Amino acid sequence: MTAALLSTTAVAKTFGPVVALRSVDLSVAPGEVHALLGANGAGKSTLVKILTGVHAPSAGTVAVMGEPVKISRPADAARYGMATVFQDPALVPDLTIVQNLRLTGANLVEVRRRLAAMDLDGLDLDEQVADIPLPFLRMLDLARALATDPQLLLLDEITAALPPDLSDRVFAVMAEQKARNRSVLFISHRLVEVREHCDMCTVLRDGRQVAVFDPRQGGESQIISAMLGESAAVVRDEIRVRSEAAAQTRERLAGAAARLEVRNLAAGRQLVDVSFTVRPGEVLGLAALEGQGQDVLFSVLAGARKADSGQVLVDGTQLRARSPFDAVSRGVVLVPSDRATALLPQQSVRANIASPLYNRVARWGPINLGRERREVADATRRLAIDLRAAAQVKRLSGGNQQKVTIGRWLVGGFSTLLLFDPTRGIDIGTKHLIYDLVRELADEGAAVVMFTSELREIALLCDRVAVLHAGRVVAELPPDAGESAILSAAHGLEAAA
Amino acid sequence: MSWIEQPNAPLPDAPQPDASQPDVARGPVAELRTTLPEPTSRWSRFTRRRGWLVAIALIFLVLLVWRFTQIPNVGLSGEGLNRTEFQIRTLTAGTLALIMLAMAQAVIVISGGIDLSVGSMLLLTNCVAAYFMQGRPLVTCLLISIGVIAMSMALSALMGWVITASGIPDIIVTLAASFVFSGAALAVLGGPGGGTSPGFQQLLVGGLSDPLPSIIVIVIVLTVVWLPFARSRLGVAVYAVGSDRRAAFLAGVPVARTRVTAYAVGGFFSAMGGLVTTAYLGSGDPRASIGANFTLLSVAAVVLGGVLLSGGVGGLLGPVLAALSLSLIAPIMLGLEVDPNLAEVARGVIIIVVVAIGGVLQARRGVT
Repeated sequence: MTAALLSTTAVAKTFGPVVALRSVDLSVAPGEVHALLGANGAGKSTLVKILTGVHAPSAGTVAVMGEPVKISRPADAARYGMATVFQDPALVPDLTIVQNLRLTGANLVEVRRRLAAMDLDGLDLDEQVADIPLPFLRMLDLARALATDPQLLLLDEITAALPPDLSDRVFAVMAEQKARNRSVLFISHRLVEVREHCDMCTVLRDGRQVAVFDPRQGGESQIISAMLGESAAVVRDEIRVRSEAAAQTRERLAGAAARLEVRNLAAGRQLVDVSFTVRPGEVLGLAALEGQGQDVLFSVLAGARKADSGQVLVDGTQLRARSPFDAVSRGVVLVPSDRATALLPQQSVRANIASPLYNRVARWGPINLGRERREVADATRRLAIDLRAAAQVKRLSGGNQQKVTIGRWLVGGFSTLLLFDPTRGIDIGTKHLIYDLVRELADEGAAVVMFTSELREIALLCDRVAVLHAGRVVAELPPDAGESAILSAAHGLEAAA
Repeated sequence: MSWIEQPNAPLPDAPQPDASQPDVARGPVAELRTTLPEPTSRWSRFTRRRGWLVAIALIFLVLLVWRFTQIPNVGLSGEGLNRTEFQIRTLTAGTLALIMLAMAQAVIVISGGIDLSVGSMLLLTNCVAAYFMQGRPLVTCLLISIGVIAMSMALSALMGWVITASGIPDIIVTLAASFVFSGAALAVLGGPGGGTSPGFQQLLVGGLSDPLPSIIVIVIVLTVVWLPFARSRLGVAVYAVGSDRRAAFLAGVPVARTRVTAYAVGGFFSAMGGLVTTAYLGSGDPRASIGANFTLLSVAAVVLGGVLLSGGVGGLLGPVLAALSLSLIAPIMLGLEVDPNLAEVARGVIIIVVVAIGGVLQARRGVT
């Protein structure tokens, strides 16, 4: 067997306590179009960042043509014949296209030739990058990468932002690379593209490669089952939705009016048209692949971003939130996945939990410290927060930090809880504590909207699931619809189950 | 970084990728042709890229004309001095040091930093130059100038290196460095003193009614030093690093090295500020309050001159014109026989009003 063009052996990456990659073996042969697949958080982006020199691996080796190499910055990757089109365009918005190309020492003549080959020679290179729509920036990035005549072309979700005809030009480029015995590492959420254009695929799950096969043979169902894996073994099967408390809640609140109603919400390019309702006591799951508008949806609901059109109603009256403060005062609170943006990392657990309380306990005048202490103590006990490192939140583990983020709203009071991938990067034990807590809050009458990148959480926790694709709700399913049905809908496929 | 940021903020005139079509339904969709974006009009390119510069140039011209309509009332009488030339020289030579510091600040702000030590660097270079130049001929003074520039560039680069290597914010490192530099200036020259060659003075700032040398200095620095730099790959990298550090890194720009370079170039301009001060005063003056005032004025000139404090946008000509405009306010107030102490108030109000109008215009363009 000939030496692989690019291979990784037992590559791992940890960020502090969070393990992003456990051990990945990847091998791309010359003249191969190789797909890298995996559900959200499986480790794809981390692997790409290691291959391109953005991150250094914590363990393992990367080899080019069998020779171990050290890639410590993006420029290094170029020396080994790799060129990357990153998920975020590597183009500086305030400069013109020509200036951007000069910046990287790209061969202008060659870039123009590549653009012409993709039928894009009408693009005025004296435009400022900020004036160019995103799809063309991706194509420009691609032309720049091709101009270096790379042995290996890395395409990180390039088609996610492209309309079909531009995607087709990308596939033509991939075929041409292959014809010249060059390789492509292709990352995409669109399984159809993988099936049609790739020779081999490596599937990642939980930071490991779990399957390597020819996608044309196995097809989408094999990919999906590899992405999901035998998750049941580690997960408790007790489904809270069917528990007695939940049943009682449902009975009690059966006739209740909607707590949160979203009507035809649209914002920017990502959020096109989203409508749903959540009643008190109900947990609505949201499932989506990355970048389908869920980020925008949550920032609009939380008041951090203005909607272009559509309405958000809380208890029947419209919520016009100009800032998170407005949303919070109507009882709509957010728990983001990134704890670092929600907490005051230098402050103590107590100060963090009490921070929303300051709006309520004392608008003016001194803070009532006694009451603060009581309420915070209640919340920490209820959440079982490990207080050994309570002096500074940044020293807590990810799971405990997330409990603090939820805990502060317990103290502050809320009626609608927005959870954005609340268990990302959290160990399984703490996850279950958070599931229990969310379910308990719902049983007490809160309306919960939870986006999750872990599909199994939907069956465990939710009363209904709405699937978001390309900025629209494409399906509303019962929680026991099955992961493959949800995943198919999330890929924009008709229910394949 | 945070989920609240919107990486895909609405782009003007962007054709919506027809994402509503599911991927499987490729048949009819494949017929769709995504058309290239309409090129932006020359006018919109011009207003976006040069609009602020035109505005500050107009402000400068208005203030200049206003000032010269006042001259018969306040100029010197007789004595063989040409009033107009005397007034121009007072403006250009008197503002030369601030102009140099505005350029220093502009380069560093464009690269995404900020330098609170430019004023102190002016003191230090001024005092070192005056200390060594006293009683020397012109040629020696010029050699000393080269040494002073090299010292300032090295110290500023060191400052930039500390910032990039330690991750301590620019504002803290440069603030601390400003105390070091003004302390060092005092150590070199215990009080106002030192000297320089008359030829050196003549060369940089000219005689009392000779505005030409100071104008030539400005033009030379802009065309011989700044323009080639800004058009070099390194200069483009400075803009790139200030505009979007992450994108620049992904594009393969050596981010840390570029930021250090920006500080070194800033050091060049600060040293020029110190040298023209030496020539203008004919001596050195280590009083720290002068440096602190200069630093703040340099930031004001940069902001008024159209350089975004967030980095990546602007040039040096805008700050130069802004520095000249700021210097015209006090004499105009004097000519109006208004309490000159109010000149500072007027300066502050003008900065806020101009920057606020600019901000509103830019925000409106961003939305449409």
